[in-house]
Amino acid sequence: MSATLVPEAASASSTMRRNFWRGVWRVMRRKPSRMAGVLILIGFVLMAVVGPMLLPEHLPGDTNAITQPPSWEHWFGTDPQGRDVLSLVISGSRYVLLTAAVTALITVVVGTGIGLFSGFKRGRWDTVLMRVTDMKLTIPGLPLLLVLATVWQFGSPLQMGLVLGLLGWGGVARAVRSQTLSLRERGFIEAARGLGLSTTHIIGRELLPSMAPYIAMNMLISVTGAVYAQVGLFFLGVLPYESDNWGVMLNLAVFQAGAMITPSALGYLLAPLLAILLLTLGIVLVVDAMDEIFNPRLREE
Amino acid sequence: MKRLAAVVALLGLATTTAACSGGSTNTPGSGGGGGGGGGGLFTTIDVTRPGLEATAPANPYNPKGNSFVGYNAMRIAWVKNHLTDPNQATPGIAASWEIAPDNSSITLKLQPNAKWSDGQPVTADDVRMSIGIAYTQGSTAFSITPGAAGAAADVEVVDPQTLKITQDMANPSPKFARGVLDTTVLPAHVWSSVLPTDFWDKLKSARGEGGDAEKAREEVTALGEKVIAFAPPKDVSAGPFVLERVNPSEALLVKNKNFFNAANVAPAQVKFLNYTGNEQIWNYLTQGKLDQAGFTATPSDVMKRIEAASGNEVIRGYSPVAVGMAFNQSKKPYDNVHVRRGLAYLIDREQVTKVASPEGGTAAATTSGIHQKAAQAWIPETVPQLEPYKPDVAKAEEEFKKAGLAKKDGKWTLADGSAWKVSMHAPSGFSDWLAAQENIKSQLVTAGVDAEVVTTADYPLYLQELAAGKYDVGFWLMALGPAPYDIFQRLYGASNGWTNVGNKVSHSAAGKNGNWMGGSEEIEVGGEKVNPGELTGKLNSVGAEEAKPIMAQLALAANQDLPVIQLWDYVNTQFVNNNRFTGWPHDDELLRGGGNVLMSGVWIQQGLIKAKQ
Repeated sequence: MSATLVPEAASASSTMRRNFWRGVWRVMRRKPSRMAGVLILIGFVLMAVVGPMLLPEHLPGDTNAITQPPSWEHWFGTDPQGRDVLSLVISGSRYVLLTAAVTALITVVVGTGIGLFSGFKRGRWDTVLMRVTDMKLTIPGLPLLLVLATVWQFGSPLQMGLVLGLLGWGGVARAVRSQTLSLRERGFIEAARGLGLSTTHIIGRELLPSMAPYIAMNMLISVTGAVYAQVGLFFLGVLPYESDNWGVMLNLAVFQAGAMITPSALGYLLAPLLAILLLTLGIVLVVDAMDEIFNPRLREE
Repeated sequence: MKRLAAVVALLGLATTTAACSGGSTNTPGSGGGGGGGGGGLFTTIDVTRPGLEATAPANPYNPKGNSFVGYNAMRIAWVKNHLTDPNQATPGIAASWEIAPDNSSITLKLQPNAKWSDGQPVTADDVRMSIGIAYTQGSTAFSITPGAAGAAADVEVVDPQTLKITQDMANPSPKFARGVLDTTVLPAHVWSSVLPTDFWDKLKSARGEGGDAEKAREEVTALGEKVIAFAPPKDVSAGPFVLERVNPSEALLVKNKNFFNAANVAPAQVKFLNYTGNEQIWNYLTQGKLDQAGFTATPSDVMKRIEAASGNEVIRGYSPVAVGMAFNQSKKPYDNVHVRRGLAYLIDREQVTKVASPEGGTAAATTSGIHQKAAQAWIPETVPQLEPYKPDVAKAEEEFKKAGLAKKDGKWTLADGSAWKVSMHAPSGFSDWLAAQENIKSQLVTAGVDAEVVTTADYPLYLQELAAGKYDVGFWLMALGPAPYDIFQRLYGASNGWTNVGNKVSHSAAGKNGNWMGGSEEIEVGGEKVNPGELTGKLNSVGAEEAKPIMAQLALAANQDLPVIQLWDYVNTQFVNNNRFTGWPHDDELLRGGGNVLMSGVWIQQGLIKAKQ
């Protein structure tokens, strides 16, 4: 019996997968802005991965062209060391995006893990974990980061991402738990239990896929959160100096180059801001597309 | 040390970058009311301290106090920014003074008409009590530290207008008079409760030796806390202004009608605007809001906009401060003089200054330990003998080779083949130092020397970690004139192992007693072994003429031994606006004063500043 069932199941799942990608394509095509969102994100990933390889390790500066306004030669002008601002944004993107990726990963893995476990097990474990989550949620993030920055120098993007991730999983855990609590009472979970399927199967194959879109969206949103948090910390000057970090660029633009006063430094201020804006826009557009892909009601409209 | 603290505070502030907030936007007009008549409202900032604190008392010793030295806080006199003579000053509460030829005493004659803002006369007793208070804060002339040089031995009230202060000649200092003159005067009828009745007896025993003296010293020092916390019920000022009110965005002072030179004080009111960082000061200046602002590190483009604003003028003067790249010689390879020389040949100081401090600095002519202007005044014959360390890659490589360094794949490595990275440290708020280090890094990397810039959260922590020997290379303020001892003790003083107690110079090993520079105790200068710390110690007790040959020897020592690479000499840039007031001095000696002194207040009280008709 199982011999006849398996090929059928395989072909059914491959058809589903095909339909899924077709659906994705349809959703993407409906609004060109969604395509733009995907392109923006691909662009940023390429920028972080390939960009720094194309640039010299230490960007050359021209001391005869300090803090220049945007020109054909330097699209966003030059910084107070006479370096090309666009190159700085590109070489700085690796730290920013790697931190954001690590943060998003930790947020989602820890948040989903705790939320699923708590919601599925219920009982004493749930109480303990949720109180821990509540406590974590009551601690304001930025002030805590400011305090942490005085004792811990976030030298590498991995460290920074780890800290931001460990500070950011509370919301995801709470949301995943409530989803789990609601799903575990549904008919298909009961049916799975009735069939005697293992807990691992129920969680991995039944619960997680229904929550995947939600988790994926949270992951993308936590990327923007991580970018804001780290850029904010660098802007405030509480973290070690990395000349090409976007936050340090903003700090230097305002406090060293006087971008609020002299237009020649405006490019230096705008370039990292535009990068952050563009990245956020890309994420918002992709989240919008994902919302429709995974939400049957929106798909039907 | 007090002077150093002031310079440090000023520079720290000048380079502070902090998050900015809205601040005050009141437009100063020329027809301000209130006060004692005259030329309206004068708007400025307290460049020595960012951030007004509305609840702080009008106490000049309180770090956040609403006491603005030169305006509502007076000193005995206002020390001048003289190139060589530390004891020159313009009259303050003292109308005149006489310094004994051997520097053993100073006799002060107070202003005959000086009165406090509540109408009471300023007497010699006020000055004596103020000196007592200065003792609790450990000022230069009024120190109870055993063996401190240039400390007063006795304060005698000759008559209500005259005081005689005698120096302890066991360990004299040529700048004793400066220490006395640079003392804040406070009203005894308001402040006397701060000092116990037996204070002067305690002070006497504190100057002695033994257990009792130690106990008395502790008691006097403990009073310092009480002084800092003291809050007078209202501001009683002997200066040209008195504090009216403070809110978080501004402090308002009104003219003190009882001030002895009130007739010549032009503004009726003075407003200090709040600011938290340089960026906010630039903003005020480009809008033409400030009648005057002291030294503020400013990028060239911003400077152009400030100069373009209506009525603005930038006055540039001499500032006896330089900045150097200092080495921790207990760390390899900086213990090798050839490495330091090689770096000196590699770094183009003109370029560093152009990037980091184009308006507030002049590239150092060479490393001499002394500001180039002061060097011309003190040791003009020695200056041409100094190696200028002009940028020269070939010479740098030669020096590196002499030090045993090797170049592999275009990168210099240590003698043992391990990687070498010049790790430079700076406090994160000091934007000019950071810009300089970033430029040095790029110059070094181009020449095949790996380098990095590392920041520390703030200046006090930076100094603490530097002193603890945690850094390889850091920036260091130096050449702090005008006194010769002050100039060279930054290179061959406590930070390099030499302590001067009771006129006896002793040397501590690297890493001990604050010796983080870790230089050798004896160095060879022109084929002759000298002990630079002992030479520097001598400067504390000799007169100007005797000082010159010692200074020449020390300049040569600093030039050959390079405990630091002198990068740029600061320029004192002052911002003034001619739309509402005129008469700004351009004289170097009046453009800069003692620690925390707001020179514009001094100019106003001297009657130099006139309201524009």
